[in-house]
Amino acid sequence: MTESEDKSDSYLRSILKCVRCGTCRSVCPVFDELGWESSGARGRMLIAHALSQGMDVDSDVLNSLNTCTTCGLCEQNCPSGAKPPDVIEDTRRQLVLKNKMTDKQAELRENVTKYGNPLAETSDRYSWLGQESADIKSHAEYVFFVGCLESYRYPEVAKTTFDILKKFDVTLLPNEHCCGSPLIRTGFEADDVTEENVEQIRKIGAHTVITGCAGCYTTFKNDYPDEFNVKHVSEFLADHIDELDLNPLDITVTYHDPCHIGRKHGIYEAPRKVIKAICNLKEMNSIRESARCCGGGGGVLSGYPELSHSIAETRMAEVPEGVDYVVTSCPMCRRNLSRGNKNIPVIDLVELVALAIK
Amino acid sequence: MKYIEKLHEIVGKNRVSTSSPELYCYSCDASQIKGMPDYVVRPDSTEQVSKIVQFANKHKIPVTSRGAGTGLAGGAVPISGGIVLDLSSMNRILDVDIENLQVAVEPGVVHAKLNEKLKYHGFFFPPDPGSSAMCTIGGLIANNGSGMRSVKYGTSSRYALDLEVVMADGTVINTGSKTLKTVAGYNLTGLMVGSEGTLGIITKAVLKVAPLPKARTVILASFENPELAGEGVVKTLSSGIVPSACEILDKTAIEALNAFDPNLNLPDVGAILMFEVDGTGGAVEEGAKLIESSCSSLATNVKSASTKQESEELWRARRLVGAAISRLDPNRTRVYVGEDVGVPIKEIPKMLKKVREISEEFNIPIMTYGHIGDGNLHTGMAIDVLDDSQWDSLNKAGDKIHRTAIELGGTVSAEHGIGGARSKYMELELGPALDVMLNIKNALDPNNILNPGKLGV
Repeated sequence: MTESEDKSDSYLRSILKCVRCGTCRSVCPVFDELGWESSGARGRMLIAHALSQGMDVDSDVLNSLNTCTTCGLCEQNCPSGAKPPDVIEDTRRQLVLKNKMTDKQAELRENVTKYGNPLAETSDRYSWLGQESADIKSHAEYVFFVGCLESYRYPEVAKTTFDILKKFDVTLLPNEHCCGSPLIRTGFEADDVTEENVEQIRKIGAHTVITGCAGCYTTFKNDYPDEFNVKHVSEFLADHIDELDLNPLDITVTYHDPCHIGRKHGIYEAPRKVIKAICNLKEMNSIRESARCCGGGGGVLSGYPELSHSIAETRMAEVPEGVDYVVTSCPMCRRNLSRGNKNIPVIDLVELVALAIK
Repeated sequence: MKYIEKLHEIVGKNRVSTSSPELYCYSCDASQIKGMPDYVVRPDSTEQVSKIVQFANKHKIPVTSRGAGTGLAGGAVPISGGIVLDLSSMNRILDVDIENLQVAVEPGVVHAKLNEKLKYHGFFFPPDPGSSAMCTIGGLIANNGSGMRSVKYGTSSRYALDLEVVMADGTVINTGSKTLKTVAGYNLTGLMVGSEGTLGIITKAVLKVAPLPKARTVILASFENPELAGEGVVKTLSSGIVPSACEILDKTAIEALNAFDPNLNLPDVGAILMFEVDGTGGAVEEGAKLIESSCSSLATNVKSASTKQESEELWRARRLVGAAISRLDPNRTRVYVGEDVGVPIKEIPKMLKKVREISEEFNIPIMTYGHIGDGNLHTGMAIDVLDDSQWDSLNKAGDKIHRTAIELGGTVSAEHGIGGARSKYMELELGPALDVMLNIKNALDPNNILNPGKLGV
């Protein structure tokens, strides 16, 4: 058997691991909103199979595959051990290789290639740094990878994070590029951008990359060379909690587990440890490995904003009564959840820490 | 007017699909039966269902109704094409009438959601399929589903008081009454339950509910092999105990569950019987003791779950064992064939022995598990689905399992349904009764539009 036959067999087996029992119907947030079989994990696995048998690619096929947020609830609950998010990303990749993609996918690729970020921002990524650009060191133990959303949409979170981190021998990449997550999740190769980042990390000599974005985190973990450790900001803060001089606050918050650090990598305790060191935590209805998705991942926020909005509304309906903030640890989740209910403030864990430091 | 335009007129454009990938997604369930629909329609009301069926009858278009598509026999697969009616968006719980011990639901209500709602009132709908989290009440009734607690609580038919049914000509009838008993007329409710959408389409169900037991406990009995466990079942049940569940897990099923959830830490033995007793605290304690003494001479170990959480974890895992066998080998996938036979309780040990012989004859590992307390044995085969010779062995083994069950006075399906997968055994199992079924089918659906090709009719 040739290598490509072997790869093709393994892809087919990964699809056929699905026994079509339909368990995923009970958890898929997209299926919950749309209700058609093609909008759930089982349907997407069937479509992946049909494509492997030669089914034509049309816009319905692309919509089915691209509405998956890759939240992984299906995989978490799948009794037969199928991994729909992996199959879906593989299938998106195969279609992209054949130049089959939605306009949004094409736009995303162009933006990252042209501007170094998916948002088509042309301004300085570190404009939030202001006078403190002198704090960028050429060598350090840790690199804080800011990410596109924090850089451009939540610069105050980026600044607060760096202010907290910089006393721990943390620096920034001199020329940070998008981590590649939006490309990889939607089926594109991202070697160019990942290599640019890797080269800079090597030069700095850092043993650990710290990021506050769940998408960046999972991309550094899974798609970058295994040369350095990766830590989420919440883990770093939890490790150094005694050094943060936190003042307890008389407030109650709830916490939304981002799929790509929670279910994907098991980071549940660290953010909760930080929150509990500051204030009361009242949990949402579904948490940890069962936490529902915010609806923003997998390219769904940019590709299908209305769908993404509905999923965020459903998630925000789980916020318990009497909380002052919804706290999360990912700028994408924060952004989308804020759209889901404008009456409840959604903040980043770092902002909560900043409140407690003041 | 073109068919599609009429369907748009009835339900609206956004509730009809003819897109190829969508049709493909509705061309199967969890069985190996396949059939491509021409239209998928998602009606929202009885009136819409009635209009669609009336229209389909006029033009002789097949109509296959579908809930969550979790069936294991192809019951919801449109093997003659035509319209698939996806009823899962008719999912309202219409009335929780505890004082009358009943609930009224639309067919698309998910089983677990109904019980979640009833729990709040201290009641439950006892049929308890492994697919509770996703299967719909409509599908459950149309297949007379039951599940893990049927040894005490029986099947769906025991709970259906009244069904609203759209008949083949579009007429809407009610088959029963709000009363807990009625003898007015033929038992049309009983006729519709388990008819797999071949006689009418259920658009509403009034179901009897039962109070939640005050206490429940799980007893695990370990055996050297499944046959000894089968003897344990016969001995326990004939001693007069009515457990609320009595499940068997063989060695492979135990391994699959431990792979799915290592925290379960089930013992590495030839077979386990999982009993559950429910009722008042005293009755549960007494029942557990009786089971222990019934099994003690045959079992290597008998123990009760120590906490409620442990019991719940065991049931949660047990629900998923059917598919979990796929986890044992990355190259093998569970295929549902020959998976639902039922035999008289006394024949259980013999059936288990036959299954082992079939496994050896066709050189295919067969896992056994299921609701052994009512003679319902699930067999699980996992194969390399890219290997044609394994498919051949699987189908031959499945066929022999079905025929063996009939020879032992049993049935080819105790609860999953006949669908398209087991139609060919109907004549063998039913004999001349199949002719009566055909006459009923012809009388109620003369154009054979309702789920054609299923149930042997």
